[in-house]
Amino acid sequence: MSFRKYKRYVEEGDVVAIHMGRDTLKAVTVVKDEIQSNKLGSFPHNDWIGREYGSKVYSKKGSFVYLLHPTPELWTLMLPHRTQILYLADISFISAYLELKPGSRMIESGTGSASFSHSIARTIAPTGHLFSFEYHEERANLARQEFKDHGLDDLITLTHRDVCKDGFGLSDTVNAVFLDLPAPWEAVESAKKAFKQHRTGKICTFSPCIEQVSKTVAALNEHKFVDITMFECLIRNQEVYSVKKLTVDHAIQNIRHMDARRKENKAKAKRSIDEVNEEEPVPVSVSPVDEDDIPDMTISRTRLEMKGHTSYLTFATFLPVEAGTAPAATE
Amino acid sequence: MSAALETATVPAITTEDDISEDFPHIKADQCLFLTLPSGNVKQITLKPDTKIPLGKFGTFKANALIGQPFGLTYQILNNSGDIKPVRNTALEDIESTEANNREIFDSKDAQKLTHEDIEKMKREFPDEADEESIIKKIIESHSSFEKKTEWSKAKYVQRKKKKFSKEFTPMRPTLYSVAEYFFERNPEKIGFLRVDTLAQILNFANVHAEARYLVVDDTQGLLISAVAERMGGYGQIMGIHDGLSSNYDVLRYHNFSKRVLDTISTLPWTMVDKDEPTSDGWVEFTEEEFEALTDREKINYTRRRKTVKRIEAARAILNEGGFDGLIVASQYLPMSILDRLLPFVAGSRPVVIYNINKEVLIDAFLHMRSSNEYVGVQMTESWLRRYQVLPGRTHPEMTTSAGGGYILSAYRTFDTPNPHLEASKSEEQSEAKKAKTSE
Repeated sequence: MSFRKYKRYVEEGDVVAIHMGRDTLKAVTVVKDEIQSNKLGSFPHNDWIGREYGSKVYSKKGSFVYLLHPTPELWTLMLPHRTQILYLADISFISAYLELKPGSRMIESGTGSASFSHSIARTIAPTGHLFSFEYHEERANLARQEFKDHGLDDLITLTHRDVCKDGFGLSDTVNAVFLDLPAPWEAVESAKKAFKQHRTGKICTFSPCIEQVSKTVAALNEHKFVDITMFECLIRNQEVYSVKKLTVDHAIQNIRHMDARRKENKAKAKRSIDEVNEEEPVPVSVSPVDEDDIPDMTISRTRLEMKGHTSYLTFATFLPVEAGTAPAATE
Repeated sequence: MSAALETATVPAITTEDDISEDFPHIKADQCLFLTLPSGNVKQITLKPDTKIPLGKFGTFKANALIGQPFGLTYQILNNSGDIKPVRNTALEDIESTEANNREIFDSKDAQKLTHEDIEKMKREFPDEADEESIIKKIIESHSSFEKKTEWSKAKYVQRKKKKFSKEFTPMRPTLYSVAEYFFERNPEKIGFLRVDTLAQILNFANVHAEARYLVVDDTQGLLISAVAERMGGYGQIMGIHDGLSSNYDVLRYHNFSKRVLDTISTLPWTMVDKDEPTSDGWVEFTEEEFEALTDREKINYTRRRKTVKRIEAARAILNEGGFDGLIVASQYLPMSILDRLLPFVAGSRPVVIYNINKEVLIDAFLHMRSSNEYVGVQMTESWLRRYQVLPGRTHPEMTTSAGGGYILSAYRTFDTPNPHLEASKSEEQSEAKKAKTSE
């Protein structure tokens, strides 16, 4: 299954990311004899099977799409939104702060549309495990099926549960906890028990409102988490263009050209009324600026729109329990 | 190409990965980051049977820390350097009172104790002059301490604690803590690569275990160690480097296990070209020829042979091609890197290039946008803001980093020709041939 490990060639059953130009992406499951019809044309799946990922495939009328290998990053851009999702800026920062790597064991609540879940599974594979909790039954079922379809169900245990009411039901199990809940402070106590008790752990809560942050910080402090801090992270895109190196000299040349043209037209008009008048001077013609002669320069600028806010990321460290860690004896 | 090509080998402290260990505590000879009460971070190597000096904060026995957990705060108990874990004071609950600063006069004379008085106290009563009693005495001799608001008092106590505490907190070196340490202390060394940008590079490049990555790292190893951590010892990393040997100094700060370090192979830029010979005039000896050498010659030969074999093995890995990603943080112009390394990258795999200056990236951006060998070309910049979160006093930090660099990313594609055109072309050709022969 293509989500689990990189493949070179497309096989039946793979989920392929079709790139349709202008960075439009669509997830399509490869089925023999099926045809992918979209605004660009018709693309039979049989043309894809056995092709190298990254290839272009064409419709009969000459339009084309690229076959891209699914990744959690592409999935985030293509997935069906059942809830508000996390994007790369927050996903990557949280993954780094929570020290995720192969072997990490982590709690995520709530699963939502599983954007972050796909990224976590990829980061902690092959030896780690994600315990994901979703309190909405239908969303839980959809996510569970998705993990199965994407070959991730050995890495992710999805539980339908209201963790604020009933806790996580885990103890001494995880290195990291991520809470994307309306009231994350209600889950802090249960989260604390879930950490592996003999080593440091990290917790992150994801809240759009500052009031939620205040309540969460109070709860973290009450439960003796340390190094409590909070971040915002946003990405903005840069656009790059090629422009002509226009100067005021070009402007002056153009004005002179326009001036000369006007004089020439006046003279022409006058000549057509009187006969040719030998004493009237012939206006000098001035050619306009030829843009092809002007060298290019490459420039860049920030795109006009950017995300203003996703959520506040509150982090804290769980400390190992002191009992049982007797200091080393003196020499 | 005849000089010795020795890699800067990083010693593996353990064969275990800390995540799979049951008791992943501090080990001998490990690199540690110690957070001091002043907020500064001191980097040390925990050599056994030594004493570790922490300047004015004291000295402690290295052996006392071996086997202890990361993250706890340890207090230095006495001049012998014994330590014990103490409670790490988080935000203490501070209630507001009626006090305000209206009647407080800012004056140096408010505090009666001088620096000399305090030093005298420490010398005459070394055991009594512990942190708490010194601070208590300082508070007692401050003429307007009681008038301060509770917040102001807490801040005052905290400031004094920073000066007189004999405590430290060992931090586990991770992708995050190492990146933060260098960005704060020596950003130029790591190409000004800020931790949020580094994290984004790893995600754009889909870095994960059991894959193979080509890395060009001019950040003295920060990038390659982040990739190595995310691969956890599964897969391969090929680092193409400047100079005769790689300079991945940052690697040693991570205390990587042997498994993780073994995933990294390196080659200098000259070895990328298939036609470049591995060694000039080096010949492998037969057993008899080897025995005939002097002891000195034997040592030199063996060393040289080891290097040549290592380079040959690394070249074999590179020439397999089909890498799952190309990740670059380099001073060199991206097009010159892509021209040489793109052929080694498999289809649909990410190409991710970082630079602190966007001008270095913009020409490559235009080329990639107009090329059929890349899709999804974008250039991004990250904005990061940290907040202080205290009850009633939550606000963004007063100082922050202004820029974290730029990332140019894309997916590698193939400019596959249109088979329908080819088919109709050859149909036309065979029709034309038929027509001709029938004439």
